[in-house]
Amino acid sequence: MSYRIKSLIKYALGTDVAGRSLTVRPDDTFLVSYPRSGNTWTRFLIANLLYPKEPVSFANIERLIPDCEALSSRYLKSLPSPRCIKSHEYFDHRYRKVLYIVRDPRDVALSYHSFQRKYRQIADDYPISQYVSDFVNGRLNSADWGTWAENVGSWLVREGQASFLLLRYEDMMADPAAELAKIAPFFHVEPSADLLAVAVERSSAVRMRELERKESSQWVATKNRRQDIPFVGTASSGGWKSRLPAESVAEIESAWGPLMQRLGYQLTTVAQEPVHHLVK
Amino acid sequence: MMNRLKAAAKRTFGLHRPGRDLLILPDDRFLVSYPKSGNTWTRLLIANLLSPDKPADFETINRLVPDPFADTKRQFARMPRPRVIKSHLVFDPRYPRVIYMVRDPRDVVISEYHYQRKTRRIEDHYPLDEYVVRFIQGETYPENGSWGEHVAGWLVAREGNPRFHLVRYESLLADTAGELAGIAEFLGITPTPERLSEVVRLSSADRMRTLEQQQSNTSSLMKGSRKDVPFVRAAKSGGWRSELPESLVEKIETAWGPLMRHLGYELFFSQTPQGISPSDFPFGKIVLGKTSQ
Repeated sequence: MSYRIKSLIKYALGTDVAGRSLTVRPDDTFLVSYPRSGNTWTRFLIANLLYPKEPVSFANIERLIPDCEALSSRYLKSLPSPRCIKSHEYFDHRYRKVLYIVRDPRDVALSYHSFQRKYRQIADDYPISQYVSDFVNGRLNSADWGTWAENVGSWLVREGQASFLLLRYEDMMADPAAELAKIAPFFHVEPSADLLAVAVERSSAVRMRELERKESSQWVATKNRRQDIPFVGTASSGGWKSRLPAESVAEIESAWGPLMQRLGYQLTTVAQEPVHHLVK
Repeated sequence: MMNRLKAAAKRTFGLHRPGRDLLILPDDRFLVSYPKSGNTWTRLLIANLLSPDKPADFETINRLVPDPFADTKRQFARMPRPRVIKSHLVFDPRYPRVIYMVRDPRDVVISEYHYQRKTRRIEDHYPLDEYVVRFIQGETYPENGSWGEHVAGWLVAREGNPRFHLVRYESLLADTAGELAGIAEFLGITPTPERLSEVVRLSSADRMRTLEQQQSNTSSLMKGSRKDVPFVRAAKSGGWRSELPESLVEKIETAWGPLMRHLGYELFFSQTPQGISPSDFPFGKIVLGKTSQ
């Protein structure tokens, strides 16, 4: 009951978390992904590109690129337009301009496992194979955003439109400057090689780890959380090959094979099928 | 601030309409469609299935198959379970079981055009070509996205999933009892053939028109809208062939040709819309059937 009263008071004051009830503006740009898909890194890349004179850090990232699932309706309303907003929402037709990051679900599952340990949502010894099964079947907290495939698939209905940019985490790892150059036009920024290089350098995993050590108490996502497991994860791709049990790989691939393939993720346990493109 | 306080007071007593904040229960079943796709007809069919003792009408329909945007949170909380809930929302992964109605967008746009006249959203002589352009952009129902986003969103995420039951409005028209039997099975109801035909009769377009005449001042479905434009309109398919100019048919087919073809809607312009070849058609291939149980 007290939870109910608290949430009613929050609602009356506008201090409830915005989430899906965010009032969207036509000139907002959304940075969307499933959780643990490189969203925070991309937030840093974009913020460093847009604000080269301001040292971007965990202490100010919520002001520069706010998280609509962590901040209140009132706070988001107070920000000037045009806003760039971070979100994990499944398809929301009100979002006009969308940068969508996708990451190999086999890596996402691993990263999410460690994240949920950090948040004390699962025990340290929660078996990974059970975890992957929960992940595939939508039994984790992340199911609020749909399963990985529902979240990704629902956004792909926008593919091919000029106001939608699909980014692969793996491509960003391979050449962050090139991918950031594709993002720049959404913010009317001329992506000079120097500007890109500086933004990439300032958003490196090494630097983000250093910032996390210094500022974890100042960021809404890491404040009051376990310090022995970092938020900034391995910052790598393909970790699943050595760390994910074969049966878990098979479970993910048999559930989402066609979509994974369509996104360029090679299957290892089920037969490849010819790839079909959503829009040429 | 005042508005928020007022809304909070309503919330305290559960008198607000929950909309998409509805608390979804694991045994809820949803009847989902883009607007003007036969949702109310199917809703009445289901309402009659659920109410064997008393025929459903445009007032009791809200109790039998409620709408989160028309009924209060308190009403939802008091409903017997499992509930069947009406919705026009775009893809929502929280919906556990979904009956999804789809209708040829060339007919949807005409039905919508007249409905928006009825609800005074547009004037009588609003240019149809302008309307079609706005329809394609998803601007005629900003709360529901475009027809293509709505349909593709649900299909990409759920087609082939045993918890998802796709119904074409056109198939429901052609074989109402047959399609209704499929819907009943999905809902876990097993009516006799006699009961099925009874339900079909009680939900016919003629009976709906009679109910509309009797209840247009009391039912939340039509209260306050123009009386000279009917809510229950043609109740048929293919009207676009005579009512929609070819240039507008072409616009719709260019926007959503592959998706329409996937749903079995034959294109008038056999020429494939630019840039897309039929074999590229994606949505059926990306069956995510096993994503969740």
